Amino acid sequence: MAAKPTRRVVLAAAAILPLAAVSGCGGADVLATPPSPAADVVVLREAITAEQLMITHYTAVLHEAGAAGSLAAALDSLLAEHRAHLAQLRSRLVVPAGGPPAPRTRPSPTATVPATASGGVAFLRAAEQAAATAMLSRLRGAPASLAQLFASIGASEATHVPVLDAAAARIAP
Amino acid sequence: MSGHVPRGAPATIPALQAALTAEDATIYGYGIVGAYLSGNSQATATNDWLAHQVARDRLEAMVRSLGAQPTAAAVAYQLPAPVHTAREAVSLAVLLEDRITTTYLGLVALSNASIRDFGAQQVQASALRAAAWRGGTVAFPGMTAAALAAPRRQS
Repeated sequence: MAAKPTRRVVLAAAAILPLAAVSGCGGADVLATPPSPAADVVVLREAITAEQLMITHYTAVLHEAGAAGSLAAALDSLLAEHRAHLAQLRSRLVVPAGGPPAPRTRPSPTATVPATASGGVAFLRAAEQAAATAMLSRLRGAPASLAQLFASIGASEATHVPVLDAAAARIAP
Repeated sequence: MSGHVPRGAPATIPALQAALTAEDATIYGYGIVGAYLSGNSQATATNDWLAHQVARDRLEAMVRSLGAQPTAAAVAYQLPAPVHTAREAVSLAVLLEDRITTTYLGLVALSNASIRDFGAQQVQASALRAAAWRGGTVAFPGMTAAALAAPRRQS
């Protein structure tokens, strides 16, 4: 059983602990230069922040750009997939008990969301395209199972683009 | 004991050969799909069939460049479900794309950076085709339920 969860990366979040201090040597020096988190953790946190940002964008368009009816339903279902992405990414970040809390990476405030439904959809389309590309850029150097998750999420985001195109076509000009 | 394995690529060649076999089966499957469709959907099936042939040729070239002999295509492949109608043809197209998406995720797991990138591009391409046939999107194209299962606590 213990060998089973091999597909799941237990990320080396522990690397952000000042290990040398724990082992009792060289305390002051270590504290003076906090070790940087492992590359896996950095890239996973980046992906988490990117998904949070997508959720923020969708929420803004749904609430502020006057998306309603079938457009709102389409956006809701894409938003649900982003929430699933976020939950899955978060589940891969294992921070050991007693470790430092994950930094509260708050997604930077949304770039101004267009006030019209068609503008909002175009804005989301551009964001999805950028997110899918960014996800591919995270593959190199990531552990295998995390790379697969990034590739899958990036592909999901790419499939959102034609859905948004279809939604845009249905909006009356 | 085992045959000649080019240095530094123990997992790479079997994964590429698996993808090649999957592409051959997909190309065969699209031949059936196209036969039951007409008009725009048949044109889409033809385009997708061609895209799989391009991917197949790239895989074959990759296998050769690593010094191995590409696995030959079979004459016929068993279909996962019988196809007698246009609706069943579309379902088969969805299934073919879903399966090959999973196959390409196998290439993403390799350490070779360019093969990993190629795998990810193909995951995206097949996810797009699957979504078009399905008429809807999924959150995790190609991922199996096991790979998405909640992490278990070890004690």
